[in-house]
Parts: sequence; C-alpha cells; structure tokens
Amino acid sequence: MATTQTPGTAAAEASQELLAVLEPDQLTGARRVKLPRRYLKGPQLVVIWTLRLYLLFMIAVVVYQIFTGTR
Amino acid sequence: MGIVTSSPGVLITHEDIDRAHDRQRVLAARSGRGFSSSVRLLWLLIGPGVLVMLGENDGPSMLSYAATGATFGVSFFIPFIILTFVMAVVVQEMTVRLGAATHRGHAELIFDRFGPFWGWFSMIDLGIGNFLTLIAEFIAIRAGLGFFGVPPWAAVLSALAVLYLALVTHRYWTWERVTLAAAVFNLVFVPVALFAHPHWNSVGHALATWKPLPGGLTKDTLLILLSNIGATVTPWMLFFQQSATVDKGLTRSDIRYGRVDTVLGAALASVAAVATVLATSPLFNHQMNAQNFQAAEFAQALQPLIGRVGASLFALGMVEAGIVAAITISTSSAYAFGEVARKPHSLNLPLKQGKPFYTVLFLCAAGAAAIVLIPGLPLVHVVLIVNVIAVLAMPPALIFLFMLANDKEIMGDLVSPRWANMLTAAIVVLLTSAGLLFGISILAPKVFAFFT
Repeated sequence: MATTQTPGTAAAEASQELLAVLEPDQLTGARRVKLPRRYLKGPQLVVIWTLRLYLLFMIAVVVYQIFTGTR
Repeated sequence: MGIVTSSPGVLITHEDIDRAHDRQRVLAARSGRGFSSSVRLLWLLIGPGVLVMLGENDGPSMLSYAATGATFGVSFFIPFIILTFVMAVVVQEMTVRLGAATHRGHAELIFDRFGPFWGWFSMIDLGIGNFLTLIAEFIAIRAGLGFFGVPPWAAVLSALAVLYLALVTHRYWTWERVTLAAAVFNLVFVPVALFAHPHWNSVGHALATWKPLPGGLTKDTLLILLSNIGATVTPWMLFFQQSATVDKGLTRSDIRYGRVDTVLGAALASVAAVATVLATSPLFNHQMNAQNFQAAEFAQALQPLIGRVGASLFALGMVEAGIVAAITISTSSAYAFGEVARKPHSLNLPLKQGKPFYTVLFLCAAGAAAIVLIPGLPLVHVVLIVNVIAVLAMPPALIFLFMLANDKEIMGDLVSPRWANMLTAAIVVLLTSAGLLFGISILAPKVFAFFT
C-alpha cells in the first residue's frame, strides 16, 4: 500500500508544493481526527425521539398496508 | 502512487494528490478574468448538485411522475412538482455549506457530533432506504430494457457494467463527468413530452392558477402526493451531496458555485419531471387507468398515442434514470460506510487502498441487482412504497441536518440564516403532516374521509 518517502526528497517537495492548494483540514490525515462530541439537550432530544418514534410507527403502517394489500 | 510522508506526522495520500490537481485547475480558473473564466470555473465546480438532483429523478420517481400525468393530466401537480424541487434546493444547499465548511461527510458529522447511538439510527435509515431504492432502480432498468426485448439478466448486467465503467479510472473527476453525461440524458423525457403534443395553454393555466386537487384529497391522491415529494427529497441525497462536495474538494470560496450547481440541477430535474407528466397526460385524456403501471407498461400504453420513437425514448429514459440513480445511491452508501467505519472513502482512491469503499459500492448495487433477478418476488410493492418511505424517513434526517447547519463550532459564520431555518422547519412540518395523513388514511379511513 505505501511507498514511504522521507521529507526532503524531490517527490515529497513536489507533493508539498502541489498540496499547498488544499486547505489544511482537507488533507486525509487531518480528516482522520474526530470532531469533539456535542451533547444534545432536553428539547433537542424530545424532538429527535419524537421523530424517531414517528418513523418507527409509520414504517409499521407501511408494512401493515403491504400485508393487507397483498392479502 | 502510495502514501507520501510530507512532514512528520502528516500523511499525504493518493487521494490528496488527485484532489490537489483538481483544486489547481479551479484556482487557475479563478485567477482568470472575464466571462470565459467564469464559465470555466462553473464547469469545474458543477457536479454534486446536478448529479444529486438528476440522480433523484430515478426509476421510482419517473414512474411516480408518469402515474401523476396518467391519473391527473396537466393540473395541480405541475406547480406542485416545481415546489418540491424548491424544497429540495433549500435542503441540499445546507449540505453544500456543511461539506465546504467542514470537509467531512454527513455520516461522519452525525457520528462525531451526536455520537454512535444517533449515528447508527441514521445509518440504518440510510442503509434500508438505499437498498430498497436500488432494488427499484434495477426493476426500472429491467423493465425499460424489457421494452426492447432485452432479457432481465442482460439488462441487469449491462447496468452493473456501466456502474463499473464509471469507476474504472479511480478518479473522482472522471467518475463525476461520466455520470453527469449519463444524467443529462434524463432530459430525454422532453422530446417524449413533445411527441405527446401537450396543450401548452393548459400548462400555462395550471402554472398560473394552481387550482386545488381535482376531486379533493383522497387516499389515492395522497399516495401520489407523497410519491411526488419522495421523488425529490430523500435522505440519500443529503449524504451523497455532502460527501461528493468533500470528495470534489469544494471550499468556502466555492459555496456560491455549489449553490448554482444545486439550483441548476433542480431546474434540469424539474424540467424532466414536468416533461414526464406531460408525456403521460395523453393516457389521462384517454381515461386509461395507469396507477400501477411499470416502466415498460407505460411505454407500451403510450406507443399508439405518441408513436414507436416516443415510446422507445420513454423506455430508454427509464433505463437512464435507473442507471444514474444506481450509481449515485450505491456511491452514497459507500461514502457513508467509509465515514462511519473510518475507512478511506473517496472516488480518488486506487483500487488497492479503497478496497472496502469500492467493495461496498459494488456489493450494494450487485445485491439489489441479484434480488431483481429472483423469479416470483412481489417486487412491485418496492417500487410503489420506496418514495413513501423516503418521505417518512426525511424528517428525522432533516433534524440532524438542521442542527449541524446551525452548529457554530463547526460552521462558524456559515450557520444557516434565519430564513433558511424557517423554511427547513416548514418542510419538516409539511413532510411529517403528509406522513401522518397517510397513516390515518390507512389505519382509519373513515376519520381521513371526515377530515378531507
């Protein structure tokens, strides 16, 4: 997978010159760092849970419709 | 090329080098002056928006528009379809901003910011929705090519071959251009509409007056309404456009062009959608019941009315819609998988480095294709419900998008403006209400009849 070159070689210098056009956080290495976690608060959790239950209920309705439709 | 260490602790990958080459061309175009430089810049930066919008004009969506035209003719639904694309622009614009500001995909952001519990819920929604939609795409491909006498196995294998060919260079830019070229063929529905000789006065009147639903809101019209909404706003679109924006390498300075890309995609897709309604409106004029027609049946029914060429183009349009959607939807699944599993995920990856990414991409498509070939499976249900499921799954997906787009820590000054938040909230309320009405119409038809 990897051809590792040490800094200072022509390839690495050429790569660095080319990579200067990318923003630092566009580099694959930078994107491997996780973003900090954000903890959801009361009202946000209520909305998310409500919509989650809504989806589960509605999927059950769709399954029921298919079942009754097939019969 | 493999991995190059540019400085201690920083790995430079093949993916970075390819993306840097793409960005070099963008910067060169940006440094130029005059109209031609602007056009070149637009040419370089369009892609994710047009692809997501034309990709969502997929097999089930085109069938939904065809059923709309055949059932209602030129009426309430033409302005309604345009409205749904406006909704799609509002929603998708947020993914452009998120991708350009954070350089991270949608699945990755949900996992990082809200944790794996909510992340996995989103992934399950996306995975199930995408797989069902992929099955529907291959049904459309099989049915469309079936019109020309192509056997199902050959139709399905041809579609997989196109998907493979789009990937073969392992370069985002080439993949994007090949898929864009295929996606523009979605406009084949425009000549089909012209073959149907639509009454332009009626079209103008429908757009100018936007009269209420003919016959009021019934269970059947509600299903068509939901199908048309699901034909333009779906969860996979959020994941795809954000990941593609990141893979393409768009930055904050490109957001304006990202918006143009999204609006252009919506405009092209709405033209194709309206053209499909117009193309099948002769079936309405001849009072044919086409609500449960599949692609080939529409083409066959249209043939005496619009001719063999028109019907053939209609069938080819269905094939194109299925193939482009199969490419984009399986790519959205692979992006999401890579982001969640922390595996390399880019269309710039060489096969060896991107083996998990390409495997997921191809297996999703091949799995759906294989299911379509199993004889006797009642797959018609999949086509009928896939857009409805998309509408139902959209509100939970939109809430995460809404919170991320308003997250100052990651978005900085690119957080959503108030008007965008109000529009998003209105879309969530509209989609949830439509879903609830659908539920009532199934579980309590009498109550539904009372309200409508």
